[in-house]
Amino acid sequence: MIEFKKVTKYYNNHKALNNINLHVKQGEFISLVGMSGAGKSTMLKLLVGEEQLDDGSILIDDIDMTKIRKSDLPYLRRKIGVVFQDIKLLPKRTAFENVAFAMEVSGHTKEQINKDVPRILELVGLTHKTHNFPHEMSGGEKQRVAIARSLAHRPVLLLADEPTGNLDEINAAEVIDLLLKINELGTTVLLATHASDLVNKIKKRVITIEGGQITMEQEKGKYKL
Amino acid sequence: MNLRRNIWLAAASTLIMTITLIILSVMTLLFIITSYSVQSIQERVDISTYFKSDVSEARILVIRDELQGDSRIASVNYVSSAEARQNFEENNRDDQLIIDSLNELTDNPFPSTLQIKANNLEDYPAIANMLEESSYRDLIQEINFEDNRIIIERLNSLLTFIITFGLILMVVFCLIAILVIFNTIALTIYNRREEVEIMRLVGATNWYIRGPFLVEALTYSVIAAIITSALILPIYFQMLPKISNYLTPGANIFSGDIKIFLGVIVVQLIIAFILSAISSLLAMRKYLRI
Repeated sequence: MIEFKKVTKYYNNHKALNNINLHVKQGEFISLVGMSGAGKSTMLKLLVGEEQLDDGSILIDDIDMTKIRKSDLPYLRRKIGVVFQDIKLLPKRTAFENVAFAMEVSGHTKEQINKDVPRILELVGLTHKTHNFPHEMSGGEKQRVAIARSLAHRPVLLLADEPTGNLDEINAAEVIDLLLKINELGTTVLLATHASDLVNKIKKRVITIEGGQITMEQEKGKYKL
Repeated sequence: MNLRRNIWLAAASTLIMTITLIILSVMTLLFIITSYSVQSIQERVDISTYFKSDVSEARILVIRDELQGDSRIASVNYVSSAEARQNFEENNRDDQLIIDSLNELTDNPFPSTLQIKANNLEDYPAIANMLEESSYRDLIQEINFEDNRIIIERLNSLLTFIITFGLILMVVFCLIAILVIFNTIALTIYNRREEVEIMRLVGATNWYIRGPFLVEALTYSVIAAIITSALILPIYFQMLPKISNYLTPGANIFSGDIKIFLGVIVVQLIIAFILSAISSLLAMRKYLRI
């Protein structure tokens, strides 16, 4: 489903990614581990076209990211859900409205939104917070709203960039469980993290990155650095 | 929501746009009234050639045909002495004293006349000159050429001044307006950066993201156009006729044509739209990552 081929990315003169080769199959759950600045976020940014690669190529299904037109990026992004450490919810909108926002943007009708959003909130276990604002929720709940929003377009791929970074252990575990659940429902998940305990519990494929290079690949792996 | 957050900048944007439009409108109105005056004066200019009473109509008509062959001359109108008398009587039919004194006279005091209109204003002196030096000068009693050229030249130089000064002023204010709206939109983009970022990551198309900023800028121009229209409405329908009467007393007085007024408003709106589109697109290009 995703194919990194000899991907190299520079930030100014700094080599953020160096000759990355990676194949991700449909329906996989991959933990991308490594220290801050190792290149995890850069890999995710390349996948949604936030950054352009300098050498090599990336294929998502049959879409060549080096050749995609800027005007087509929004449509690609509707196939890919993204979740961040800093959550990025709209503070003046409720959980429902935050999820609905993603659907409004792509021109869904009111009926569709009213039908889908409660289902998505149910999936992430937040039906009771439907009409609460972000400041009325815990960090874990907010992150689950963000995950719900990323699911609004029924993405085939979910990218999570340190989604547990600001959460305590219990909330973090809940978020990871939710990601696993979404993965079981068929969405490919790419989780970038440096939370070793969590990765160890997941027991799925682990890719370790150091200094912009893949240094280790394990099936049902553990976090080793 | 955004309008409230930047209320002062929004007000500044609307104000500067209004000032720009007012300058544009006033210049346009001055241009309209001045060119109207020039035209109405030009229409009145002609050379009247009065012939001696013993010159036959046939001879005058030959001269008329000869003059009509001159490329500088637009038209030559022959008014016989009888016609001239008739016209005079008609114009003064309410004044019995004049009619009575006219009837006292045994001869018709009105000479036969050729009224000559030139194609170009500049040609009148030359045509008058040509008549003075013509072979039939002896048949002519008087050549009456009221030289309105000085006032017309003054009006024309006023027109040139209005156009030049107006254009310079317009360019300056357009640039200021673009700058102010550019800054306003830049600030709105900054205030909404999180929302924009989220829109991007959930796959909003570029124009879905840009739309609100463009609409904001266009809103300023619509409000400015409405204010300006309200301000120039009395100028157009009340002041312009007075100015017209002052500039060219006795000539046709300018009476506000609603179509021209609507035209001015449409031009205003178009220019305001163009300015706000340019400035908001520039701001988006510089500050809006899509």
